[in-house]
Amino acid sequence: MFGLAIDRLSKTYQGQPAVDAVSLAIPHGQFVCFLGPSGCGKTTLLRMIAGLEAPTSGSISLNGRDITQDPPNVRKFGMVFQSLALFPHLTVGENVAFSLRLQGRTGSERRDRVDALLKLVRLSGLEKRAIGELSGGQRQRVAIARALAQEPQVFLLDEPFSALDAKLREEMQAELRQLQEQLKITTILVTHDQREAMTLADSIVVMGEGRIQQHGAPSDVYRAPANRFVANFVGLSNLLQVEVLDRQTVRLGERVLTVTPMPEAGLGARAVLSIRPENVQLADPAAPCVDSNTVVGRIASIRDMGANMEVQLDCDGGRLLTVVRSREWIGAVAGEEARVWLPKEDCRVFGA
Amino acid sequence: MSLAPPAAKPRRQGEGLAQAVILAGPAIFLAAFCVTPLVLLVQLSLSHHQDGGLWSPGFELTQYRALGEPTFLRVVGFSLALAASAAALTLSLAFPAAYFISRMRRRAQVAWLVFILGALSLSEVLIVFAFQVLLSSGGALVKALVDLGLMAAPQSLYPNLGAVLVGLVYLVLPYVILFLYPAVSRLDEEMPQAAATMGASPLRTFFLVTTPLMRGPLVSAAALVVIFTVSSYLTPLVLGRPENWTVGVHLSNTALDAGDMPLAAAQAVLLVTAVVGLLGLVRWIGGQRAPA
Repeated sequence: MFGLAIDRLSKTYQGQPAVDAVSLAIPHGQFVCFLGPSGCGKTTLLRMIAGLEAPTSGSISLNGRDITQDPPNVRKFGMVFQSLALFPHLTVGENVAFSLRLQGRTGSERRDRVDALLKLVRLSGLEKRAIGELSGGQRQRVAIARALAQEPQVFLLDEPFSALDAKLREEMQAELRQLQEQLKITTILVTHDQREAMTLADSIVVMGEGRIQQHGAPSDVYRAPANRFVANFVGLSNLLQVEVLDRQTVRLGERVLTVTPMPEAGLGARAVLSIRPENVQLADPAAPCVDSNTVVGRIASIRDMGANMEVQLDCDGGRLLTVVRSREWIGAVAGEEARVWLPKEDCRVFGA
Repeated sequence: MSLAPPAAKPRRQGEGLAQAVILAGPAIFLAAFCVTPLVLLVQLSLSHHQDGGLWSPGFELTQYRALGEPTFLRVVGFSLALAASAAALTLSLAFPAAYFISRMRRRAQVAWLVFILGALSLSEVLIVFAFQVLLSSGGALVKALVDLGLMAAPQSLYPNLGAVLVGLVYLVLPYVILFLYPAVSRLDEEMPQAAATMGASPLRTFFLVTTPLMRGPLVSAAALVVIFTVSSYLTPLVLGRPENWTVGVHLSNTALDAGDMPLAAAQAVLLVTAVVGLLGLVRWIGGQRAPA
């Protein structure tokens, strides 16, 4: 296959699996995000791809060639570390030219390439600066330019933007995406920020407990989470305890709700219904109360978030439902009764 | 690195007094046991030499003129070269040792550090005479070399320059490993890894990234070895030939054998000045382009 292929890759630390039999194919030129909470194995997986960590079992191949035994300096996948790991004893230009110097390129070749790369990351003219004189965003760009200098086959980034403030982070994300489209280089970015993953990636690999929980396009992962873990981790979800009646119906308290057909896998009687807050619709109070997919509750609290309103609904004793809808709730007061409609196609049921 | 002066704090009354009382102890100790002997030494070096190990008070530069003698300058030059060689040898052993110890598992690290600390508990006298026994023609090392066929007939491996160097390196090695260990432990593991992802072999990573990052501690460690060995006395005396003797040995000969106390004092003043000058030089090198 043209691209990066990972086959049943595992890494065990003192008997504890950090990465557990992960298989994954990344086509050439794709931008993939490994998304997951801390300790899910995403960084370990990235480090195994870079060659910095030896897998316990499994294999990695690039364009059909097995590279599992190749050390990092043979793979030469450009990598941006979380700490950036810029060399403080070298200037900006010397940092960017580090891989070129190792390749034995001449001085003028190096200068031209450094000029081009610094232009690419919009740092022209700063090659003589010391690393200590740069701002956070500038360091980020130097780290990216340095990793790209060797024209790597695969470009790896380990939570590169986590230290930046929100505004700068979004700027850097947009720049990285542009750069990646321009260079068409296979890119893997590790993050725990689902917004970052959603906005940057062609496809998202959601990881939890050392395994891939779901791999798909950002919109698919968001709209159709494969399991409870993904529903809970990617975006906000209401998770409600329900009783399974058949493949398409569940009981929530006294109400029977129709849901997206469940996979064949035998779910127990007890299960979890997941629905995104923004998919919960305010039902027309005038409509007759016959639609089985409505739920009645008492408004516990309302938060005005500017563009949206967030409403906590207490329905059927103790269950709280977070609903975010634009302006529909203006006029509602805490303590009032409200009726909400849960569209069938947005209700998914997972094993508890 | 910038050491900005701390912002002026409003002083509470009595704080100054407390500070003075706390600092008085060390200050008195330093004055009594360091500054006073130094002043006496300088005074002695300016006195007039009389036969029979005696001297009379005076103020003359005869002794300092005598420092310019070629034989003494040769000894000074040899001492500096010996100290520099010892520093180079020690660092080339201690730096990798400290690096690998800092990368071991916690338990192994502790075991190694305790072992190295243990080596420090032996006195210099014991170590030097143990080396004398080990390197002698009847010693275990020579026997082993003969048995292995690497040496035709038993012959003593001392006194010579090599024996002096081995002895000195052995004496300072534990200090230097323990000195470098904290700095090496703090080294950001991602720096060499970043170099590896850019195509640097482990060896090139070591020379292009790890060593430059450790420049400050390495220069300080080298200074430590030089200062420790430039004035060494017992090791060159026991394990070396007369031509391997350092300033320290000559100084002692001047004072005790020739009985010229003022000249010995002048030689000592020169040694102290050289060491202080060296420390200044190290500070200056360390301050240049220090890692951010």
